[in-house]
Amino acid sequence: MNDATAGRRGAGTPTVGVLVDRRRILQLALVLPVAAGLGGCGAATDRRTDRPDPLVALADAARADAALAAAAVAADPALAARIDPLREARTEHAAALDAEVVRMGGPSAVPTAAPPTAAPVTTTAAPAVTLARVREAVAASHVGAAELVENLPAERVGLVASVAACCAAYAEVLA
Amino acid sequence: MSSRSARLDEEAVGALQDVLGTEHAALWSYALAVAFLPPQEVAAARVDTAAHRELRAQIEVTLTQLGQRPVSAQPAYATPQPVTDAASAAGLLATAETDAAAAWRSVLERSPDRPLRRAGLKALTETAARCARWRGAAGTRPAVPVFPGRS
Repeated sequence: MNDATAGRRGAGTPTVGVLVDRRRILQLALVLPVAAGLGGCGAATDRRTDRPDPLVALADAARADAALAAAAVAADPALAARIDPLREARTEHAAALDAEVVRMGGPSAVPTAAPPTAAPVTTTAAPAVTLARVREAVAASHVGAAELVENLPAERVGLVASVAACCAAYAEVLA
Repeated sequence: MSSRSARLDEEAVGALQDVLGTEHAALWSYALAVAFLPPQEVAAARVDTAAHRELRAQIEVTLTQLGQRPVSAQPAYATPQPVTDAASAAGLLATAETDAAAAWRSVLERSPDRPLRRAGLKALTETAARCARWRGAAGTRPAVPVFPGRS
């Protein structure tokens, strides 16, 4: 099986492409990827030590979302049943992401400044935080996490993908 | 390079076979559950069934393209709890989606291929949303899993 696969690949990236083309399945999300994976090397192990850990921003966003959720419930306690689970989830996300940052990078990773989304969260801010604003924030967090998934190493991608999927589910549930 | 590709490929194929197994199980679960769900949930279950069918077909085609034989469905699956009413039916679907989420997350962890990662994340995200709906219907709180796919 191994030999067959390898032999086919050696001769065969174009063959795979032709097959894919002929069966008109390029639009199927799953097909192209593995065909591409046959020839190419993934870039998922890319990690530069001189760059800030991208998970720091995700942890900050999680904290910001949790604070925003708390502010929304403070402004309208009737929202508690819908928003408290989100606040708890984002708090757990922050803790898990922090732990991963520490595991990989140690102390250097910790003191990065919070992203802009973290700033306007104080509970005393003038306009009341609405459900819509919470939803927007968690939808943005979904995008921020999802964008990283293609390039993260195997040991980190699951956590970030789970965070992205959870945020997406809340964006849907709160719509 | 060819040995590295072969290794990646084998991992990806294994992950896809595993996720195909959970898609088979999910489809079986939906077929069982609809008999116990109230009408408005039956409609949702049919939509979800169609989504799983499409995923299953995509995985099978992908594996076939890679020269692999897609794993077959089991004739039947053991349910973790007896399915006797709407709540237990929704619970079964939540379990099926939880299993599928774990398998899709594993696809991400077992292949660095970017397009496959994109497809896997999409599937994980959609599975998480379905899971949230059925957990909610089953009365499980929180409805949205905090770390979808984490086992």
